[in-house]
Amino acid sequence: MKINVLKPVLVSNQERAKENRKFFDRYNSLVLNIIGAPGSGKTSVIENIVKKLKSSYRILVIEGDIKGSLDSEKLMKTGIDTIQINTITECHLDAFMISQALPKINKPYDLIMVENVGNLVCPAEFDIGEDFKVAILSTPEGDDKPVKYPLLFHRARVVIINKTDLLPYVDFKIKNARKNILAKNPRTMIFEVSARNGKGFDKLINFLKKELAKKK
Amino acid sequence: MHEYSITKSIVELCHQEARKHKIGQVKLIRIRLGRFTGFSPAAINFYFDYLKRGTRCENARIEFFEIPIRIKCPACNFTGEIVEPVFICPECGKPDIEIISGREFYVESIEGE
Repeated sequence: MKINVLKPVLVSNQERAKENRKFFDRYNSLVLNIIGAPGSGKTSVIENIVKKLKSSYRILVIEGDIKGSLDSEKLMKTGIDTIQINTITECHLDAFMISQALPKINKPYDLIMVENVGNLVCPAEFDIGEDFKVAILSTPEGDDKPVKYPLLFHRARVVIINKTDLLPYVDFKIKNARKNILAKNPRTMIFEVSARNGKGFDKLINFLKKELAKKK
Repeated sequence: MHEYSITKSIVELCHQEARKHKIGQVKLIRIRLGRFTGFSPAAINFYFDYLKRGTRCENARIEFFEIPIRIKCPACNFTGEIVEPVFICPECGKPDIEIISGREFYVESIEGE
């Protein structure tokens, strides 16, 4: 006997993501799904954003790590709220893991940044209920990464090129990186920053402020 | 590595469908997989052999059918297949194209008795 099923494998994740989105919409929170390789500077970029926005906006960071809570401890020092999710075996956050963390959110936030597990492959597949994906690409990784990891760079609305302070020492050409990113998605917004010295964050912060305003 | 949870979803989905249609033993699962997804059939098969135990899929195997990446260019109306996910129209070179297929990932059918 043959049964036609015709059901998407990710259907349950998509349904849960939709519910998460409803939850985030209650307080009109702007939710970013931040994805990048281990060591690309996700936490440091978040730290810089927090420093510039925390006086005017209520911010929450949800930290996804396979193990430990080093990043959320680091971010707690900036005075904002954090929630730690340990994925144990999984290499990405999915909508289920986020939905389990939602009951811990008991006050309204303007901005929720979700730091995904350090990985350029798997997190790109899973919608967690975010407004958009932010990819972080650091200069020592090479300007060819958008070619090698097309899905993430196709789906990310924003790409942050981090560690621009290292440009004199690495084989990374901003021009090539931009070309490779835009070949995957011509509408991508690209920002160049150095989380180490704070350069380039003003443009990114202005963009985020506009996105936050759209939510209200 | 993310194929573990995905394979679990496949097993659960097929097990439930089999129960609904009173299939005791699933023999074959047909999956359609777009080329523009990050899932590996080899990794799915690897986890499947472990995760299918004790379910109605215990004696099943999976057949994968690839779906090519097809695009449409709103500027020149070109419609066709591309091999690499580079989103530039091969006809007119405009970068703003629509993806028609290649992102699919679904269980097409199950067979069994």
